[in-house]
Amino acid sequence: MTANTDDHHRKTVLVCCGTGCTANGARDVFHAFQTKLKDHPEIDVQPVIKATGCNGWCEKGPLVRIMPEDITYCSVAAKDVDEIVEKTLLEKVLIKRLLYRDPISKEQLTSHHMTDFYRKQYKIALRNIGEIDPGQIDDYIERRGYQALTKALQQMQGQELIDTVKAAGLRGRGGGGFPTGRKWQACRDAQGEPKYIICNGDEGDPGAFMDRSIMEGDPHTVIEGMILGAYAVGASRGYIYVRDEYDLAVQNLGQAIKDARARGILGEKILGSEFSFDIELVRGGGAFVCGEETALMASIEGRTGEPRDKYVFPTEKGLWGKPTVINNVETWANVPVIILDGAEKFAAVGTESSKGTKVFSLVGKVVNTGLVEVPMGTTLREIIYEIGGGVLKKRAFKAVQTGGPSGGCIPASLLDLPIDFDSLAAAGSMMGSGGLIVMDDHTCMVEVARYYVNFLAGESCGKCTPCREGIRALLEILTGICSGQGRMEDLQVMEDICLTMQEASLCALGRTAPNPVLSTLRYFRDEYVEHIENQFCPAGVCRDLTTFYIDPEKCTGCTLCAKHCSVNGIKGEKKQPHIIDESLCIRCGECYRVCTFDAIKLARRDRNEN
Amino acid sequence: MKIKLNGQEREARAGESILDLCRRENVPVPTFCYHQAFGGQGACRMCMVEVKEEGQKQARLVAACTYPLNTPVEITTESEHIQRVRRTIVMLLARRAGSHPLMKEMEEHYDVSPLSAITVQPPNCILCGLCIHACEEMGKSAIWSMFRGVDKRIATPYDEASDDCIGCAACARVCPTQAISLEEKDAVRIIWNKQFEMIACKRCGKYYATQEELEYLKERSAYGQDNLCESCRKKNLAINMKNFS
Repeated sequence: MTANTDDHHRKTVLVCCGTGCTANGARDVFHAFQTKLKDHPEIDVQPVIKATGCNGWCEKGPLVRIMPEDITYCSVAAKDVDEIVEKTLLEKVLIKRLLYRDPISKEQLTSHHMTDFYRKQYKIALRNIGEIDPGQIDDYIERRGYQALTKALQQMQGQELIDTVKAAGLRGRGGGGFPTGRKWQACRDAQGEPKYIICNGDEGDPGAFMDRSIMEGDPHTVIEGMILGAYAVGASRGYIYVRDEYDLAVQNLGQAIKDARARGILGEKILGSEFSFDIELVRGGGAFVCGEETALMASIEGRTGEPRDKYVFPTEKGLWGKPTVINNVETWANVPVIILDGAEKFAAVGTESSKGTKVFSLVGKVVNTGLVEVPMGTTLREIIYEIGGGVLKKRAFKAVQTGGPSGGCIPASLLDLPIDFDSLAAAGSMMGSGGLIVMDDHTCMVEVARYYVNFLAGESCGKCTPCREGIRALLEILTGICSGQGRMEDLQVMEDICLTMQEASLCALGRTAPNPVLSTLRYFRDEYVEHIENQFCPAGVCRDLTTFYIDPEKCTGCTLCAKHCSVNGIKGEKKQPHIIDESLCIRCGECYRVCTFDAIKLARRDRNEN
Repeated sequence: MKIKLNGQEREARAGESILDLCRRENVPVPTFCYHQAFGGQGACRMCMVEVKEEGQKQARLVAACTYPLNTPVEITTESEHIQRVRRTIVMLLARRAGSHPLMKEMEEHYDVSPLSAITVQPPNCILCGLCIHACEEMGKSAIWSMFRGVDKRIATPYDEASDDCIGCAACARVCPTQAISLEEKDAVRIIWNKQFEMIACKRCGKYYATQEELEYLKERSAYGQDNLCESCRKKNLAINMKNFS
């Protein structure tokens, strides 16, 4: 074998097959590579092709990476594969049109690691995703996988593991931010056998896909984290509760559990030690509330997924009344790194009260949507503007919604807020599982509150009065305000209801459900007042309160609005000012959003018309 | 175990709920979803009281029916704060059952400014869940909650007559707002969309139970063998006792 062939043999083509890329045809790209190389045995290249988990940069997918050169091609289609093989793999020539072009410097960047989107990130939980084939246990092992487990089983006592996790300052990534080490300690100290370990993979926030990507793209890190947790607290059995809709996660986790058992990593006498532990996969029943830990445990037990009061913690009485540690997917994914690299290294990242990193799913009106992992304490501005590339179409930033449906909306004045568990709570929102939804000035904050309350109206379990009836009342009032029926007294009534929901609800869902209302009332009260007193929606979203007209001075007659109008309600000659036919207009606001000349104007709708 | 209840020292049994203690000490705590036969559910949240735990500076609101007493705590059952929460809860529940006397009384007591009423099925149901527990305790579980969130309601599966329902009406008897429709005419009882033949008491002739209920009870216990209604059974027992002495 010549040195040259050796070099070729080492080549690896990584095709991102995360959810976003798959939706854009990544599987076809992957198969095209396989076919191309199989059909052309004369090609003197033998690269390994791997379908990886989500790289996070979903906006630019499908992503294809070529190692060891570390070339990243963006938005690759199956038809590009021939060219990539012939030019890049064989002749080492870059295909410029597939490279990412930096929007500011206009420079074409060879590797995704050079882009702002990746440079500012710090990966712990996502360290392997995009680098490995999640279906291959050896890929994980090659990247220091299961070394933490070997180290723990050979050199550490359970208590030492807990002390390490405590020293690292790891806090639960599922939303609550409870110190993980303290939770483990309570379970280790609790009386009762057997003890259980649960991984909460019931991610259900709209727009959130952090846990999904970890379960799909690096299932073994979750498994290793859980085994370490089990060893620390003395548990013998574990459950991974996966949201039912996450098919690929179920498939990859199932394969990973099977492979781990075959290698003696799960099951009796793990890696030749005296410690035994096994994991079972449970598919969720489709209820958002089952992400709440007591409801989740009820669901595993086969009962209705409703929470119970947590005056006695699950670490004492959890699954089947036995001591149980339940942590979120991302929390488990951090554990192997902490054990392997030590507490100091982990604790060196982050803020005083929140150590390490947090994965966020950055979505909404932002240029680079995707999955990002940043040190705790990174500001919203850095995430949205530097990593995310700013607001789409350079529109004005209005708010960012954090923490899922029961999180809150944070205004532009707080963009420089360093985010951690405590700063977000102080701002009236929460970390939640890490959703970040960016909103521009075309967003109506009253409607945003109504949207989330409506989501919760269908997803509250309905067991306790404040949550079920409080949400119902809030939804009615908000719907009224959005349709012009609001009264100023409603704001006080809503605040009273919100307060009782926060204080008296049974579980965290009910206690945090008022956040969308309270945070918008706190930061965008003027919009509520505008809706109620002036019967006007300043964002042009609430149809009952808005009408649109075209400013003839500004209209260039480009016809863009007319093309987008779904009811053909915009008339006019090319290059002449257009007009909106009021009798046809359904007030969807599409013209307002697409106009690039700021020619579509909003006006108060005379509600007495017709 | 010594605890403080409204400033006074009281003896609590380890593990009992705050509500159990309050009932024993005759301290009133309002409830909708509590029944001593089933224990606390923590659903209606009417029984919220303030608890100050050891080492904590501030008191917090907890549901008296589910909070277990395991450490010496200080409990306050009435305060402006508690009153405000209870008022909102009554305001919210009254929307479902505003016409019921229990709710009217509560609204008056807490000085509630009412919100508009809503229509729910069945009317007056406040979703306390007691009927579900009663049916479950009977060993039948013919009814359960359906759907979730604001659509939640109590029903038999698919709203059809349930094979499991024995027409015992334990659910209707335990309902605090008489929200379960129970029709009785001559020898027929209709409940949960199912019609039952009633059996007459062999002593007084009153229709007192359904055929299915008696058969079920005979299977499970010695109860129900005599075909006597509750009051006649008592009378019979008294006569037997008299004869015995």
